Amino acid sequence: MLAQIDVEFREQILNDYQGVSECQVCDKPDYLVPIREVAFSFFQESGFPTLKNEDWKYTPVKRYLNEPFEVDQEDTNTIAPADAPYFGKQLPGYKIVMINGRFDPEQSELPDSSQCTIAPIIDVLREPTVKERLSKSRNYGANPFLAMNTALFTKGIYIHIPKNVKIDHPIHLVHYAGGEQKQFNITKNIFVVEEGGEAEIIESYYHSGHAPVSFRNSATEILVEPNATLHHIKLQKAHSNLRMVEHTEVEQKQDSLYNNYTFTLPGMNFVRNNLNLDINGSNIESHMYGLYLTNENQLVDNHTLVNHREPDCESNQLYKGILTDRSRAVFNGKVYVHSIAQKTNAFQQNNNILFSDDAAIYSKPQLEIFADDVKCSHGSTIGQLDDEALFYLRARGLSKADAQSMLVNAFAFDVTEKLVDEEIKAMLNEEIDKVMTGVIS
Amino acid sequence: MRTENEIIDDFTTREYEHGFVTDIDMDILPPGLNEEVVAFISAKKEEPEWLLEWRMKGYQAFLKSKMPEWQNFKAPDVDFQGISYYAAPKDQPKYDSLDEVDPELLRTYERLGIPLEEQKLLAGVAVDAVFDSVSIATTYKEELGKLGIIFCSMSEAVKNHPELVRKYLGTVVPYSDNIYASLNSAVFSDGSFVYIPEGVRCPMELSTYFRINAQNTGQFERTLIIAEKDSYVSYLEGCTAPQRDENQLHAAVVELVAMEGAEIKYSTVQNWFPGDEEGKGGIYNFVTKRGICKGDRSKISWTQVETGSSITWKYPSVILKGDDSVGEFYSVAVTKGKQIADTGTKINHIGKNTKSRIISKGISAGYSNNSYRGLVQIGKGAHKARNFTQCDSLLIGNRCGAHTFPYIESRNKTAMLEHEATTSKIGEDQIFYLNQRGIDPEKAVALIVNGYAKEVLSKLPMEFAVEAKKLLALTLEGSVG
Amino acid sequence: MLEIKNLHAVIDGNEVLKGLNLKVNAGEIHAIMGPNGSGKSSLASVLAGREEFEVTDGDVTYKGQDLLDMDPEIRARDGVFMAFQYPVEIPGVSNISFLKTAVNEVREHQKLEPLSARDFLKRTREMQELVQFDSALANRSLNEGFSGGEKKRNEIFQMAMLDPTLAILDETDSGLDIDALRIVADGVNKLHSKDKAFIIITHYQRLLDYIVPDFVHVLNDGQIVRSGDKNLALELEEKGYDWLKKEPVTS
Repeated sequence: MLAQIDVEFREQILNDYQGVSECQVCDKPDYLVPIREVAFSFFQESGFPTLKNEDWKYTPVKRYLNEPFEVDQEDTNTIAPADAPYFGKQLPGYKIVMINGRFDPEQSELPDSSQCTIAPIIDVLREPTVKERLSKSRNYGANPFLAMNTALFTKGIYIHIPKNVKIDHPIHLVHYAGGEQKQFNITKNIFVVEEGGEAEIIESYYHSGHAPVSFRNSATEILVEPNATLHHIKLQKAHSNLRMVEHTEVEQKQDSLYNNYTFTLPGMNFVRNNLNLDINGSNIESHMYGLYLTNENQLVDNHTLVNHREPDCESNQLYKGILTDRSRAVFNGKVYVHSIAQKTNAFQQNNNILFSDDAAIYSKPQLEIFADDVKCSHGSTIGQLDDEALFYLRARGLSKADAQSMLVNAFAFDVTEKLVDEEIKAMLNEEIDKVMTGVIS
Repeated sequence: MRTENEIIDDFTTREYEHGFVTDIDMDILPPGLNEEVVAFISAKKEEPEWLLEWRMKGYQAFLKSKMPEWQNFKAPDVDFQGISYYAAPKDQPKYDSLDEVDPELLRTYERLGIPLEEQKLLAGVAVDAVFDSVSIATTYKEELGKLGIIFCSMSEAVKNHPELVRKYLGTVVPYSDNIYASLNSAVFSDGSFVYIPEGVRCPMELSTYFRINAQNTGQFERTLIIAEKDSYVSYLEGCTAPQRDENQLHAAVVELVAMEGAEIKYSTVQNWFPGDEEGKGGIYNFVTKRGICKGDRSKISWTQVETGSSITWKYPSVILKGDDSVGEFYSVAVTKGKQIADTGTKINHIGKNTKSRIISKGISAGYSNNSYRGLVQIGKGAHKARNFTQCDSLLIGNRCGAHTFPYIESRNKTAMLEHEATTSKIGEDQIFYLNQRGIDPEKAVALIVNGYAKEVLSKLPMEFAVEAKKLLALTLEGSVG
Repeated sequence: MLEIKNLHAVIDGNEVLKGLNLKVNAGEIHAIMGPNGSGKSSLASVLAGREEFEVTDGDVTYKGQDLLDMDPEIRARDGVFMAFQYPVEIPGVSNISFLKTAVNEVREHQKLEPLSARDFLKRTREMQELVQFDSALANRSLNEGFSGGEKKRNEIFQMAMLDPTLAILDETDSGLDIDALRIVADGVNKLHSKDKAFIIITHYQRLLDYIVPDFVHVLNDGQIVRSGDKNLALELEEKGYDWLKKEPVTS
């Protein structure tokens, strides 16, 4: 099925797999070999997903993949991290520099090792926590990119927060992409927050735009242990030459809190986020907040899956979208409540505003409930700004453009206000305002 | 008070009351499907050449079709060669007057609560009774005829109004639509045909009563309703089948066409045999129902109360082509035992200012799975289109599942869509409150469920709303402690 | 200040104003009364510039300009204020930041410097006091979760902040208890001056116990069917509207 894509790219993928499996100097722990084999044979069989795959129904990936990509080639010459003005650069905190998925300790500013462990994934494959994460069975059928990722990854970062440690500043991961050739990069990250630990991880992205297109296939495995807290913020704004699929698997243990914030702003012409939460303990709280503000011919696709396996947990999803120009967005959220997971509270909300007749939105909020004593609901709306509210503001002297912009900001504010980090909140609100001023005037 | 489990067990073993078999001489084609079978059916019905050709196209499309995979259950392996595609009571298939009908048949319908003698009929309801593959009687025909309304079996329509049938057949559900619609196009046996002329409000409810009787047969009826400009019709179908161990296939097609200013109200009370408590037997109810609001300001409204069938798999849909046209879907689906329902609707907004409203109430009990699946699609030209969707699920016990799969797509910035869904259970406090007022738990459940489904039930024609309420209460008898 | 001549307006194909005439001078308070559906709120909507209403005939001159030709925000900046019958709730838009934008838009239009944050705050406090508007409400989202009375008081508070020349109160008194009504009326009386005019649309005479109008007009079927002084309102209270419907237009 791989036949559908560019010949050179296909060759590259096969060579890369050979490279990974026959590599003499690499660490190849016993447990990982069959996992990679299974993943690769699955991927070879399935290829990249087509529109016939229910989870990719609105997302024609082929057009973003059909290039003579080089797979995971070392090519760092074109990137000068020091000058790169990535979105979120002004934010304080520790910095982890990732170049085409490869951890670059030289240019990073790391917390001291007493606080946490940070290492390239390939060096820690024998760590029990890493082994445990990588051995989890995953639904490749819905996620062929993940199968490819598991089969081929050699790059990525491992972040481990020990028991009862609260990291004093946010850890900011900056993903730089680009090279002289068209690049396809595969990254596997693992974040573990041990019992009672707490951390804030921010992710930013950069592509200069001078370099040719780059495709990022990233998968992150996260474990939030009992009573631990992780705030995970994605600031997805980069040049249109960057395309990406980011797959995130989170397992939460009892009494833990995981907050995910995913902001996708104009720029990258293709972004697919998969966010899968495994609620695997009682008294767990999870929040997933998303805001996508899209323009030109962007395609932004957010897929979420929340698996309630234990009773007395609460999950909450709020995704909002503002679409302009010819952009398209997909929201596909699923809440699955197992029969044992009584007293689950699960909410899911998706609201969208279309600003252009050429834009399109596909919303698919889903519930699958097998327990009766639960509170689960979802809602989805698609519309435009409220005429009555617009008139009210104009009757108070605001120009139409100002009134619109005020209402759009209020719409987006619902999501940004959920951020605890005031600096990020201010930065985002300013950016949204800037984008919308261009759209409205 | 009995424990919850006892009551649930009790309820899951409740018997299907329409499970009897009518002993009557039948004309049955041996099982199997091929071009000869298709030709045989067409010949038996003395059909014109064009219809045979159309059936053959349906058969070819069927051969090429694959079974869909997106549904929320494993599609059963239907042995299409193991089904008999034609079964009819032996004498002549159509009677000139009810006096000629085999008394056994009349008794069958009496037993089902559908007397066919006009004097006994519910006032204001005309009935077309379909027994296995053929329509055996249509009542009130003459009276309707005076208004220019045509209400007859599909076979009669093919004979007496071929130009109308040819003009509309397959225009809403093409023979290539899906595997079961293709199969139906090839082998459809009979069904109802309704034509309401311009400006006429049909003065009574039109109704078809379907009954599967014979063993190893499928029922493949086809219904076509055409409402000309500024006309109105309300149509109702009801269905039952005997209790049998093997599954039987019901793959019907319903097509509705509403011209400018016309309104069609289509109600279904479906109570096919659901299979036994082990999930053995029961009807596969795989039906394609679709209406098109062709003219401006037209309206199509689907109301369904689904309590039977081992698998219910259907999405009565509306294409809103005319400007200012309206589509509605009101549904109550109850599953228990090992029943499966994957049902909902598709609304396609094409015209300007088109409106749609979807209210779906799912009730799951026992080991059943009940899914709402709905598509609301706003096309580029559907300026100021509006949709409101509400789908609620009620779970009784924690061995069943309730699923909601809405697909919401918009390509027009002036359109507004709203979708809401909730999941709840019947609260112990609610039951207790009613108990305290002297109402026993079973009645309390019936009361609560009927209240829950009220918005949908209120859309049914009066005579049938009462029936549907009773049916709901019976279906869920003793389902909660 | 405001002159309405032979005003006809249509909404959704229905004519709601059918040749309405009204003249309002600076310093005057006009009360417009009438039964439900007589066109009172339609008049307010047309004056404020609601786009759903189509003016099919007639003129409205405001300070010598054609009012109907102006966008709603231009009318507002020129001093036309409408207190809404049903103020909208706008979640996420803070009352104060919205008001600051509005005040400065109006000032800019009048060629005045924007208010400094300090002056704005000062003015906010003064006006809050004047109309007895809870400062906690001022910091919430616009009308979100406000009670009916709070919303109406917020309208009067905004009126105080924006300092209009012509204020139209569209049934501001409906649904208010007597205390809230008194607060609203107090606000209006305090803001009233010789340069300002008020059009008070009301269904009940009650409000006019607190705000004394110079003129009372009765609207019926899209026209003013009778005008008089404050005694007309008392008469209406006593006899209802029916007796007027039968009489020919006399004003």
